[in-house]
Amino acid sequence: MKIPLLSDILRNLFSKPATIEYPKVDIPAEEGYRGLHRVDAAKCISCRLCAMECPTGAITMKKFPYKEKEIPVIDLSLCIFCYHCVYVCPVKAYVVSTNYHLSTGDKRTLISEPIPPSTKKNN
Amino acid sequence: MVVLEVPFGPQHPALHEPIMFRLYVEGEQVVKVMPNIGYNHRGIEKLCEQNLFVKNLYICSRVCGICNIIHSTAYTLVVEQIQKNDPPPRAKYLRVVANELERIHSHMIILAIMAEVLGFDSLFMLMMRDREQVMRMKEMLTGNRVLGDYLIFGGVKRDVDEEKKNRILKTLDFIEERMKYYKKVFTEDPTIRKRLVDVGPITKTEAMKHCLVGPTARGSGVKTDVRKEDPYDAYDEVPFNLITYDECDSWARMMVRIDEVFESINMVRYCLTHLPDGPYGPKVLKRALPKGEGISRVEAPRGELIYHMISEGKRIPYRVKIRTPSMTNIINGLVAFKNAVLADVPAIITSFDPCIACMERVEVIDIRNSKVWYPTLRQLAGGKR
Repeated sequence: MKIPLLSDILRNLFSKPATIEYPKVDIPAEEGYRGLHRVDAAKCISCRLCAMECPTGAITMKKFPYKEKEIPVIDLSLCIFCYHCVYVCPVKAYVVSTNYHLSTGDKRTLISEPIPPSTKKNN
Repeated sequence: MVVLEVPFGPQHPALHEPIMFRLYVEGEQVVKVMPNIGYNHRGIEKLCEQNLFVKNLYICSRVCGICNIIHSTAYTLVVEQIQKNDPPPRAKYLRVVANELERIHSHMIILAIMAEVLGFDSLFMLMMRDREQVMRMKEMLTGNRVLGDYLIFGGVKRDVDEEKKNRILKTLDFIEERMKYYKKVFTEDPTIRKRLVDVGPITKTEAMKHCLVGPTARGSGVKTDVRKEDPYDAYDEVPFNLITYDECDSWARMMVRIDEVFESINMVRYCLTHLPDGPYGPKVLKRALPKGEGISRVEAPRGELIYHMISEGKRIPYRVKIRTPSMTNIINGLVAFKNAVLADVPAIITSFDPCIACMERVEVIDIRNSKVWYPTLRQLAGGKR
């Protein structure tokens, strides 16, 4: 009886396991992965387009002391990372990253606050 | 002889999603099967009637996890049909690339699950390990390994550069080599052949009579493929073969999927090497949905997928109707269980490639007064227009 898989099984007996032990070993995301994204407060023009078209309603407009108009704040517990907000933004105000290490014990910390404009830029 | 009723599901180790089959067995032989669906109904169609058509793109792509890009393709095509919005050629080619990558990993997962159902766990592990490479490619192209969210009305969201192109082509070589090996395993291994050959036969006449679609019908020798019959996107320019097998059993259905993986690999290669220049997306996203009605047919990994949309000129569509391939294959493919042995039932169900999350739509079954009537889509949609 011919068993074609036997050679592969025997080879795997002596090779390293394919499983990556995730928390100990980091798995880097591919370039362009849709991870944590934040709003650059200096660029945002408060057009509300992202808040209106967010499929889950994760984006709310909030007032911050460093800006006259309201700026979008993303509730990450609702966000599905479809990046529609990033796509529709007319001034490309969203700063994207490939960070997917977002698990936390406290739900209140799952909020993507805008990046405040640095003092250098204001001057 | 006494006929016993054996419940199979909704929670069963061989089924990965909730569906129930009432099996009536006489000894070991199955004499009758009654499917019982509705455990996973989420009301997606109703949700689509309440949301902006832009938001519906993301709702529709979450109908099914494995075949999400094809669902957003179908939805995008139907909206583009109503908007009279034609995507640029580069976007059409990139859509084919994304859809074919999805087909590769979808077929690989069902082949792996079939191996697991047959009790061949080492083959399952090996196939899932290699499938992860395809998922990495999808992540590189679309931005996520599972939920692509790649399409937008009038194009795609992101482009592919030379470096990504080369990496995808390199990984495809690896996948092709591994799939050749798995084809050899599926054709030569005595365990797999004994569990699959002549199990769950569906003749060509039965397959055509019961309107089976996709690899299930092609395994019975029916030449049906929406990509050939009604080409959408760039499928009229990309050369590929229509795979059919005449064995009509579970094994033939799995072999159709293996051969389709090779075809998909060649299609992705062709698309990436013949990628036209130009824009890949719309300059400005069209946010108006004029009054009209559209219908789109696409070939999902499991068969023909139909989207029908009625718009009244508002930003919220009046009706979005989804007909998924698993619906026809599971409900109408029950002929395959005729005279099957109880132990073969998981193998037959898996050979249909069931996607329960896909198929849980609205359906009307009246078994009390065995009345046959054919309601129109308007009647089903209800309400006055």
